[in-house]
Amino acid sequence: MLAYYFRLAVKSFRRTPGLTALMVCAIALGIGTCVVTLTVYHAMSGNPIWWKNNVLYAVTMDSWDPSPNDAYDPDHPELAPPQLTYRDAEYLYQSTIPRRKVIMTQLIGMLSGVPGKSVPIQAPTRATTRDFFSMFDVPFQFGGAWDSAADSGPQPVMVLSKRENEKLFGGANSVGQTILWNAHRFRIVGVLADWRPLPRFYDLTTHSPWSNPDDVYVPFQWGPTLKQLPGGNSSCWGSNAVNTYEDFIGSECVWIEMWVELATPQAREQMQAYMDSYWATQHKAGRFARPLNNHLTNVSGWLKVNGVVTGDSRILLRLAFAFLTVCLINTVGILLAKFLRAAPTSGLRRALGASRREIFVQHLAEVAAISLAGAALGLALGVAGLGAVRALYANSDGYSQLAHFDPLGIAWALGLAALSTLAAGLYPAWTVGRLPPSLYLKSR
Amino acid sequence: MNIKPVVSALLRNRVGAVLVALEIAIALAVLVNAAFIVGQRIAAIEEPTGLDYHNMFSITMAGVTSDFYAPRSARDDIAYIRSMHGVVSAAPTGTIPMSGDGSNGTLYTEPGQRGKAAAYSVVETDEQGMSTLGATLVGGRNFRTTEILQASRGQIDQPVPEIIVTQSLARALFPEHGALGQVVYDRQNRPMTIIGVVRDFIGQVGFGSPPYQVALVPRIPGAYGVYVCLVHTAPGRAESIMQLAEQHLAASNPTRVILDAYPLDHYKDLLDSENRNMAIFLVVVTSLILAITCLGIFGLTTFNVSTRTKQIGTMRAVGARKRDVVTHFLLENAIIVASGVLIGCTLALGVGYWLSTEYAQPRLDMSFLAAGVLILVAVGQLAAWQPARRAASVPPSVATRTV
Repeated sequence: MLAYYFRLAVKSFRRTPGLTALMVCAIALGIGTCVVTLTVYHAMSGNPIWWKNNVLYAVTMDSWDPSPNDAYDPDHPELAPPQLTYRDAEYLYQSTIPRRKVIMTQLIGMLSGVPGKSVPIQAPTRATTRDFFSMFDVPFQFGGAWDSAADSGPQPVMVLSKRENEKLFGGANSVGQTILWNAHRFRIVGVLADWRPLPRFYDLTTHSPWSNPDDVYVPFQWGPTLKQLPGGNSSCWGSNAVNTYEDFIGSECVWIEMWVELATPQAREQMQAYMDSYWATQHKAGRFARPLNNHLTNVSGWLKVNGVVTGDSRILLRLAFAFLTVCLINTVGILLAKFLRAAPTSGLRRALGASRREIFVQHLAEVAAISLAGAALGLALGVAGLGAVRALYANSDGYSQLAHFDPLGIAWALGLAALSTLAAGLYPAWTVGRLPPSLYLKSR
Repeated sequence: MNIKPVVSALLRNRVGAVLVALEIAIALAVLVNAAFIVGQRIAAIEEPTGLDYHNMFSITMAGVTSDFYAPRSARDDIAYIRSMHGVVSAAPTGTIPMSGDGSNGTLYTEPGQRGKAAAYSVVETDEQGMSTLGATLVGGRNFRTTEILQASRGQIDQPVPEIIVTQSLARALFPEHGALGQVVYDRQNRPMTIIGVVRDFIGQVGFGSPPYQVALVPRIPGAYGVYVCLVHTAPGRAESIMQLAEQHLAASNPTRVILDAYPLDHYKDLLDSENRNMAIFLVVVTSLILAITCLGIFGLTTFNVSTRTKQIGTMRAVGARKRDVVTHFLLENAIIVASGVLIGCTLALGVGYWLSTEYAQPRLDMSFLAAGVLILVAVGQLAAWQPARRAASVPPSVATRTV
């Protein structure tokens, strides 16, 4: 029976090719637009470590300038700075409450002494503690993280990203090799496998959230040991002059990102209490002049307060839906007109014994055929549109990553399209099925 | 022309009319708000930069080893670049204009972080900084070569006694009287005299200081081991000279590395990309919505004409002129369009209000709404024109033939 309905549908398309093409194109345009915006939005609003969303927490303490006109972020005066001072980070890092913990910053890295490379190579470096890799589920291709002794030493050990290892060693297993990092000899202990968290949730202070993760990882204490100032963001306030590195790490400058892994709600409460009691003692001693504003923020909350999903992309998402709505209303109108025009044929079929249900299903089959064609064409348009978006963003730090063909986003868009088109077809098909056959038989 | 037959004809195909009116309403709401946003975005892109950025490039250098002394390295690199053919002017800086790379601070008109305060982007540079940036003096003077300071080894910060500010920064600090010769203070209460005021240009962006509030600071950059070689070239030569400079500098001193090298066009492009892409997307989708709406109107009128052939024939047979038939269909369409536009106005205002509260957009300008209404009415009538003309060509004899 379904095959017969589809044959009828093809006949109907042949009768009004222009109208059919119009409907297919309208649906295709609506779906294409939705594929593009949904894909970008889906990628943008993604949580790259959703499986640990309620276990990982960014640590913030409001150590900022108490004067009301000097909020860290004037647009969001309620937020504490996203980074910590050296002394607060050092203190909080001593806590044994978290199962894992990391303090980190970005350093400028200069690699030399690499076989076959005469000129030093710059490599964005993350000075971090060893839990970084296990906390964030960073996969290794060769070797692994350094041990805790290397953190406290600090020992000259490093981990390379896959990208950097390919650049320096052609992708070979370089574990055990030594190269110069900022003129000091470091031993490679691990090489990461592909790892590209989008957005780069662990540090959103300097780079675009869509840029590559760092290429070299060394123990955190190398920064203070070599008196190397951070290469990422550092923000200072206060009236004490900062003339030397010692001044800097003793100052109220914030420049360290801290995350903790708290497996249970109890651990979370304990950590919060630990921070608050530290705040209280420091407050008494004259620091932390702002009101208590310590936070443990989970990953999705962190992405939200850092405004990773731009307002523009949210507006565009809604626009795409408005557009799809217009396309669907258009489709309902055309289908209605088309079915009503062919009503005498339906009347004839009713008179010959077809039930209302059969007429309804027959017209729905026609709608399904149109929606399928529209969805296919829409998908093609969407892929082309994503290509265009990539071209538009070719220059922007990693943003074009977002416009990649994403099966889940596209499945979403297609499911939506199929459902909505079918929904659009329900009313016309129902109207036609309801028409009394006698009326049309008479008028013939 | 009597409106009654038009309305009763309209009521025969209510659903179709309601659908088209809805399409028109959504199209109007989208058109008006999209046009408003696009207008703002274009205005933002066209804001003057105050820089001859087509003919500028920057190379960012970093050295991190203990024997590296950034100010000396910066002087060497700049000396080489100045000697290159086609270079108009070059200077070391700590900030790349129009980018997020650089530093910023706050100035106060009174010590102790009191008085008027203004956030500004700090452009450390030497006496050639002004000419490299193309900043023209409107008052006061440039730095003298002897006034350029440099931090000693291991020193992060060094106070400067004098600065040059942009007009915007001058106005922010001293709105009533001239800033020239005035003393301002930083957070550490260190006094600085304003010795020059220059035309506005964009400094560091994205870190809280307003784009045109910039101060030139007479100091060789490099406290964090990083400095920027900012270069102004002869017209059209930025890219080629940059490549030559990059080649030389990469090999000339193994104690430091090149972090970035870009023509300033790159940063201007990045600065605009969000606005530009939003504008492109809005224009494309809005045009498509308008096109689909037109097709909807066209489809509905065509359908009405084709199902009422007999009635049109009858109209003609009892004396209606061709013109009357056209008017009938256009009037019918006008009623649909008008009701759609009415709903659309409410919708447009609603969307505009929502955008202004939710996304901090300015309130919708009413002239955009008026223009949107005019455009939709015109486009709506145009879309119905061709089928209405076809209706007029139905001969009166149809009325007799098909009975």
